[in-house]
Amino acid sequence: MTDTPAIKVEKLVKRFGKNTVLDGIDLIVPRGQVTCLIGPSGSGKSTLLRCIALLEEANEGFIEIDGEPLGFSSGDFGERNRLPAAQTRKVRSRIGMVFQQFNLWPHMTALGNVAEALVTVRGMARKDAEERAMAQLSNVGLRERAGHYPSELSGGQQQRVAIARALALDPGIMLFDEPTSSLDPELTGEVLNVMRDLAQSGMTMLVVTHEIGFAASVGSKIVFLDHGKKIVEGKPDEVFGKPRHERIEQFLDTYLDRGAATLL
Amino acid sequence: MTFDLDLIISFLPDIVRALGVTILLWIAGSILGIILGFVIAVLRRYGSRTVDLALLAPVELIRGTPFLVQVFLLYYGGPFIGLSLDSITAGLLGLTIYGAAYYSELWRSGFIAIPKGHIEAAQCVGLNRRQTLRRIILPEMTMLLLPSMVNMTILMLKETAILSIISVPELTLAVSALGTKYYAFVEGFAILALVYWALVEACSAMGRYAESRLSKYRFAAT
Amino acid sequence: MSWKLFWLLVEASRLTIILSAVSISIGFLLSSVVCAAVMSGNRTARMAGKLFVSFFRGTPLLVQLLLIYYLLPQIGLNVPSEVAAIVGMSLCTAAYQAEILRGGFASVPKGLVEAANMCGFSPAATFRRIRLPIAVQLTIPALTSEAIMMLKSSSLVSVVGVIELTRMAQDLAASTYRPLELYAAAGFVYLVINIVVAALGLGLERRMSWGRL
Repeated sequence: MTDTPAIKVEKLVKRFGKNTVLDGIDLIVPRGQVTCLIGPSGSGKSTLLRCIALLEEANEGFIEIDGEPLGFSSGDFGERNRLPAAQTRKVRSRIGMVFQQFNLWPHMTALGNVAEALVTVRGMARKDAEERAMAQLSNVGLRERAGHYPSELSGGQQQRVAIARALALDPGIMLFDEPTSSLDPELTGEVLNVMRDLAQSGMTMLVVTHEIGFAASVGSKIVFLDHGKKIVEGKPDEVFGKPRHERIEQFLDTYLDRGAATLL
Repeated sequence: MTFDLDLIISFLPDIVRALGVTILLWIAGSILGIILGFVIAVLRRYGSRTVDLALLAPVELIRGTPFLVQVFLLYYGGPFIGLSLDSITAGLLGLTIYGAAYYSELWRSGFIAIPKGHIEAAQCVGLNRRQTLRRIILPEMTMLLLPSMVNMTILMLKETAILSIISVPELTLAVSALGTKYYAFVEGFAILALVYWALVEACSAMGRYAESRLSKYRFAAT
Repeated sequence: MSWKLFWLLVEASRLTIILSAVSISIGFLLSSVVCAAVMSGNRTARMAGKLFVSFFRGTPLLVQLLLIYYLLPQIGLNVPSEVAAIVGMSLCTAAYQAEILRGGFASVPKGLVEAANMCGFSPAATFRRIRLPIAVQLTIPALTSEAIMMLKSSSLVSVVGVIELTRMAQDLAASTYRPLELYAAAGFVYLVINIVVAALGLGLERRMSWGRL
């Protein structure tokens, strides 16, 4: 088990019409570490994350979660066999996802958002579910906001609720899709802090981010994508340390205000 | 009852004339309603508070009561206050007033929907109020309001059928009259429904075409 | 105009309210079916649903009412004109409500459904717990307008001999020769009913206001 990576992606190809967004991506996400996907807008990093969550279906290639195939299994001759929906749901239940737009359900309170899946999916009693949800909200520092609706919360608070919602289901892997990109700059800190704590607790994380400072300090592995291809991959000091890959150099130049200045 | 094609052909001139009245009432009523609605909306937005309130009452009265009752009031009640109109004039006037109330609300929603920043940007580059209205507000509103304006105009066509009740010689009345004469109501009203349906679909197809032509002026995503 | 005449109008408005309420309710149930058909994966069902919506939105209610009023006896259904009126109004409002519901479901942000998928919701649970409540909240204002529209349109059933508010005003106007006052009074009664409905709709909207999306 320790040898199997948390996520293994093989030769993944995703096209939107004639546009090839992912062009044969291989990726290993090691267990218990933070892997950061960085790259310019349109490089395909969010699409890769959404393919791993099976919110988008890749056109070619394979994905394994904890060694189990997701969506498609590889046949004897490398052909793709579609797996039944129940299998997909089972494998996907090991993944928690945090979205750029939070995606909290507007008709439920913070507590309701976190407790909902425990009741609807896991079949827990409402009272037990809310107890557990409350514990999760406390972990992200929102105990006293439990009764508020999403529209009554700040963006940073909403995103922390969204993280608590994903964590309540006990996922082994957490995916973050630009979790701070739609937040005001002064609100990104609280979300990044929660993510930092989570990383320290040993959670396996795959983070798509523009926060270069966060990636450099918290990430144990950095993957740089451009035009749907993996350009560079390695430890932060390998990727950001000098001498750098020419594309990384260009990229950092445009991201000075995202904490990249410290790396230059 | 049999389906008699010759009979239908012999009515054709009458039907075509009645269809002409329907279309004429529809187009004239819509155009006058759109213009009057615009005047009401501009007065309510740029006039004083008194003007706004004075116009609010009639608009809400029209929007809160059935078109049929308004038409009855105008046609049968009118003569008691010295307003004796023939049915076509009463019909057109009723349709115009009715349409103006609804169109004015659409225009108003358009004024509200235009971002203040666009108007500020126009003032910053030196356009005066009239230029801003003509060059910025109206073009932006055309795009914003086109779908709802088309919808309202389709509603206007359907409302013209109601004018048959005060015996305006339009399509529904003509078909009813033939129905009574030959006791062929079902066939008549079925064909009538198809004619309206075709007109409505043609109108909404035109609206969709115009919308697609204008789509490059869509608001840019921010 | 005497109070007695006005009271007759108020009494007749009871039928207006009943006809509208019944039609709107039947129409809502019917519209759920039509909306499900339009959103379904089955091509035939989708086409049938779209055709239904297009026809009943594309023709005047008056013509629909006349057609149904004369059609029902011809296919052997000798029903009171009130029933014909309800059939016509229900079909018409079902088409409008189906379109409103479809729009509501289409406006549910995709991300909220994706979040449910990621939390392991089954499609049925996603529908019941996420899409339906949000779509309903989004459509309450439009459904309120549609209810008011139907209340006003119910005046058209006067032409098939149902003695509701408009027909009562017409009959009284003919017998008293006071059309100005009677139609104005009838309009006033409609206005009051519609203000009440609008207020109810607003109250419902406020009660479900767990905020904007």
